[in-house]
Amino acid sequence: MDAEPLTIYFDGDPLPARPGDTVSAALLRAGHLATTRSPKYRRPRGPYCLIGECGTCQLRIAGQPNLRACLTVVQEGLVVESQNAWGPAGLDPTRLVDHLFRRGFDHHHFLVRPRLANVAMQAIARTMTGFGVLPELPRPGAPPPELHEHVPTVLVLGAGPAGRALTGALEAAGVDVLALDRRDRLGLSRWHPAPLPQRLLVDTGAFGVYAPERLIAAASPPLAGGSPRLHLVRPKHIVFATGAREGMIPLLNNDLPGVLAARGLAHLLERTDSQLTAPCVLLGDGEEAEALAAQLGVHRYAPADVERILGRDHVEGIVVAGRTIPCGVILLAPTRAPISELAAQAGAQLRFDGAGFAVLTDPDGRALLAPRPPDADDDPAEPPWQIWACGHVRNTSVDPTADGLAVAAALLAELAASEPS
Amino acid sequence: MTARAFLCRCEDVTLGEIDRAIDRGLTTIEEIKRYTGLGTGPCQGKECTGALARLLVDRGLARADALQPFTARPPAEPITLGLLAAARAPFFAARPEEDPDPKDTP
Repeated sequence: MDAEPLTIYFDGDPLPARPGDTVSAALLRAGHLATTRSPKYRRPRGPYCLIGECGTCQLRIAGQPNLRACLTVVQEGLVVESQNAWGPAGLDPTRLVDHLFRRGFDHHHFLVRPRLANVAMQAIARTMTGFGVLPELPRPGAPPPELHEHVPTVLVLGAGPAGRALTGALEAAGVDVLALDRRDRLGLSRWHPAPLPQRLLVDTGAFGVYAPERLIAAASPPLAGGSPRLHLVRPKHIVFATGAREGMIPLLNNDLPGVLAARGLAHLLERTDSQLTAPCVLLGDGEEAEALAAQLGVHRYAPADVERILGRDHVEGIVVAGRTIPCGVILLAPTRAPISELAAQAGAQLRFDGAGFAVLTDPDGRALLAPRPPDADDDPAEPPWQIWACGHVRNTSVDPTADGLAVAAALLAELAASEPS
Repeated sequence: MTARAFLCRCEDVTLGEIDRAIDRGLTTIEEIKRYTGLGTGPCQGKECTGALARLLVDRGLARADALQPFTARPPAEPITLGLLAAARAPFFAARPEEDPDPKDTP
């Protein structure tokens, strides 16, 4: 992109950024891999998944604590501050915890008695850890949150390839369909070439399914422009097209800053027209990991052959079969796990697929409902909506576009059958 | 830096801590979550639950078809209390067929 470069500030230091960068993109390009510390062992941490799934890129941005750097787009002069860190970066004295408790510490028994020691320990622990300082309220000029309500026939959660294929087919048939995605328009269009839904709320992440109240709640973050918005949606049909995510591969020092999710980074590079310059390796098994390594032009190793990841404040190398390979970035490409938490909230039945929990459906994409616990006290009459799932959330090995179209056909047939003509 | 392999980075739960929980006879995702705190941090189990499930299956401690994650509850995304406060019941502009009976509201 040729647009004018921007400047953002990270802990007071000016950093160059490009329009369209996420905060994570700007930080990674500038070599700021570590942006926070872990809660217990106080180890340096930074972004990992780069798609809003994991918990470690949260920063204080424009005075707001706990915003995900990977979903926040830069603006000129944006002030970004690290969280949960003490003193100058790299000199945080709390890092000693990692060295003092080499064999781990058992929080069930650590300094519980004598009582005085417990009081002292609690005072220290509460001061030195924690996720972000509350904002100085009210933020000057901050517009109040807005409430928006929607009553579409079909709500589609996720505008990736499966969601887009399904929504496009429903739109073509004249169905009243609303799609939500927490990514922004640039991220979505760079992610996949298919056209975006006509009624699409971007920057809007669904966070709750409240069956008794018959509504889905979604939120747009405060920095996406304008007021923060709360959306309440009451559809007749919900389609989960939430896709899949890259979970963790348990390797020694897999938490070091510079260990990044391979697909997340590939999408970030596409989004920002950037290329990897740091020496890098990819860890993963199978065809998808091989294809990613080829796409990114990096060497691939099987995780089972990796003895450990090396580094102090960030990745410096890996040890494979006794041999040390220096590198600055390590990409993890685990088998993807379906993103099924919201579908589970809605009552869908899940099944372990070897990497995560997929939504169990009939062949047409209708979600099978989990048996209700006998003590459920909410309205047991009947589910307020029909639940569907398409794409990787129901099966990570399907072609998401084809699956979106197949489920759209079944959903259209059901709508036609239920319509009093 | 001490060499540690993390399953849950949000709550700093290492493989060693999972082993300790298993040694005490805890072999379901729910039990291990309650004992170690796994899955209770900012990402709410999105990164670790699948990896823990796989570990339990690989070690023969759980049957794949019987495994279930712990209960998913809102919010699935980090949101502010201020934004939640924007919701005012009754939701949705009153439609005639859905007018709440004022006698039913406390």
